Amino acid sequence: MSGPVMDPRIAPPFPQAALPILQNTQLRKNVAHATDVIQAKRNRLVAEKQDWQELRTSAAATRAHVLANLATYLEQFEKNCTAAGGVVHWARDAAEARQIILDILLEEKAGEVIKIKTMTSAEIQLNPALEAAGIAAIETDLAELILQLGNDEPSHIVVPALHVNRQQVREIFARRMGLPELPDDPQALTAAARTYLRKKFLSVPTAISGANFLIAEDGSVVIVESEGNGRMCLTLPRTLITLAGIEKVLPRFSDLEVLLQVLARSATGERLNPYNSLWSGVTPGDGPQKFHIVLLDNGRSEILGRKVERQTLQCIRCAACLNTCPVYRQTGGHAYGSPYAGPIGAILTPQLEHMRHAQSLPYASSLCAACYEVCPVKINIPEVLIDLRAQVVDQERNEGTRWTDPMYLGMKAANFAFGSAARFRMAQWFGRLGLKFFTDRDGWIRKLPNLGSRWTLSRDLPGLPDQTFRQWWSEREPVRGKESK
Amino acid sequence: MTANSRQFILDRVRAATTADANRYQDIPRDYIGAGNLDPQGRLHLMSERLQEYGAEVVESSPADLPQIISHQLQLSGKHHFVVPQGLPAGWLGSGVTWSIDGNLSHEEIEQCGGVLTAASAGVADSGTIVLHHGPMEGRRIISLLPDFHLCILRASQIVETLPEYFALFPMPPRLATYISGPSATADIEMTRIKGVHGPRFLSVIIVRDDG
Repeated sequence: MSGPVMDPRIAPPFPQAALPILQNTQLRKNVAHATDVIQAKRNRLVAEKQDWQELRTSAAATRAHVLANLATYLEQFEKNCTAAGGVVHWARDAAEARQIILDILLEEKAGEVIKIKTMTSAEIQLNPALEAAGIAAIETDLAELILQLGNDEPSHIVVPALHVNRQQVREIFARRMGLPELPDDPQALTAAARTYLRKKFLSVPTAISGANFLIAEDGSVVIVESEGNGRMCLTLPRTLITLAGIEKVLPRFSDLEVLLQVLARSATGERLNPYNSLWSGVTPGDGPQKFHIVLLDNGRSEILGRKVERQTLQCIRCAACLNTCPVYRQTGGHAYGSPYAGPIGAILTPQLEHMRHAQSLPYASSLCAACYEVCPVKINIPEVLIDLRAQVVDQERNEGTRWTDPMYLGMKAANFAFGSAARFRMAQWFGRLGLKFFTDRDGWIRKLPNLGSRWTLSRDLPGLPDQTFRQWWSEREPVRGKESK
Repeated sequence: MTANSRQFILDRVRAATTADANRYQDIPRDYIGAGNLDPQGRLHLMSERLQEYGAEVVESSPADLPQIISHQLQLSGKHHFVVPQGLPAGWLGSGVTWSIDGNLSHEEIEQCGGVLTAASAGVADSGTIVLHHGPMEGRRIISLLPDFHLCILRASQIVETLPEYFALFPMPPRLATYISGPSATADIEMTRIKGVHGPRFLSVIIVRDDG
């Protein structure tokens, strides 16, 4: 079996990619279990927080404020990070970011590099580039390690291996770590990973990380994690390279009082994550003595300029929208063909691809808005989805052939009919007449001819009632007139 | 090349945001700032939240502290401890081996079974131990490699809410680690497992204030 394709430029459209997954009952069971557990924890901790909505409001406003003043805060961050001993690099796109990182690693003569889980590194497809340059990238997050050793791909932003169960992890570790006797209880599996990685932490002198937040006020970087692999990578190596999207800035250190609270509760259902690390530049005697940070644009400045879409960049990658999404919960992450899965992936991925790829993703949603309700920074994902759908429709519109396009003709006809009350009544009358032939005795329509059959293939349609609302309204007793006397 | 990219990105960002006047002071802050517990209540909540995470918590008077430290170290079953340079000599009792960090190598620290440090603050609401890595908390590495961490927190350092902590430290620290329970993962079937890479055992002594 070939692995999932996570490059949006070559991934199959969502419905096609989702099909085999929907038949994989084991994977669906794993995804359902994991998302249920996280959601239950998240809901319990959100319920106990009396000021949850106020925190959300403040978090959303903080992120929106940053985006509206992004250039100022980026320059401030650069100045303060540089003053603290960091080296700031700027990358317009994925290729430039990869090149900057490769150049640093080359200068360091690095043969191996330890990595903290970073979505941004997957976005720029860093690992294949490192491999091609002969540099072994070692993922140190337990989930990422499972995926790396199993030649698998992440399917969730926070718990990337949630689609793999303990027997599968055991099999991967036993095979790749040479431990045939390894039992399949999570405790033993975790211990095996600890031993396996400890040697790497102590010996590999170069690390790559992402960033949860950049603080403009003092040029510091914040990483939120649970396992301690982050702390290892931030503390033990000689050289640290951090890759961060330009949207990750916060104005002040104290803004963390809001963002850390909403992030931990939304992401893992904890009051705070077990470990949060903050550092500015280089500290003599403590931690890496060389620190590089790569600020990545890769389409973000374009998103920033769009009125409806800008809010996409408010995201703090908590993945609460994935856990609650009725579509993600059925398909898992691989169907999205991008490191960013779920509702946020459905709006972020096509935009990062300049709407040239992944155009099926804005349709991978029922627009139920559960994602909007849980989002800690109040991104109105359905609003963005609809706007992106409109862009896709505009893209696909072909002026030359549109008079033979049934969708276009149908919409034109509807536009005409809805344009006046008389035409609307007429259309209703015709519709009633036409649909009568297809309505079963119990009032349901199960089979329509021609193009209509594409609708009834997987759905039943309630037949039209005997009376329209307008008819009922005109025939009813005028109650209000009596009352007002 | 990089210099050009910098200008290119900043120009694009500016062009995308020119029309947006938006002031930092206008960000609404109607969330809970300070809590309403008294010092005793804060101490209890801190202790409760730490224990929820599986950390061990004992209380001590200032006078009993050296004795309680010795006792907790003994209970840990470890014999060799690393400590930062700035701890009071009275905390380092006899009966165990001490390595005082200055510039110890990774390997030397890895040899130690445990670490003893002070803390910069405690946040009761989330059971968080804050380290700013000053002389009494030490370099980041010493509270990371050993398997057992004994942390001394004064009751007067405990605040109730996270915003109270930020109010206490308006100047951002150069380094900070917030520890809210021992190293953990839920990556395999969402089963919470303690101790992936950081210390597996966290023990906290809360020192009551004098008087």
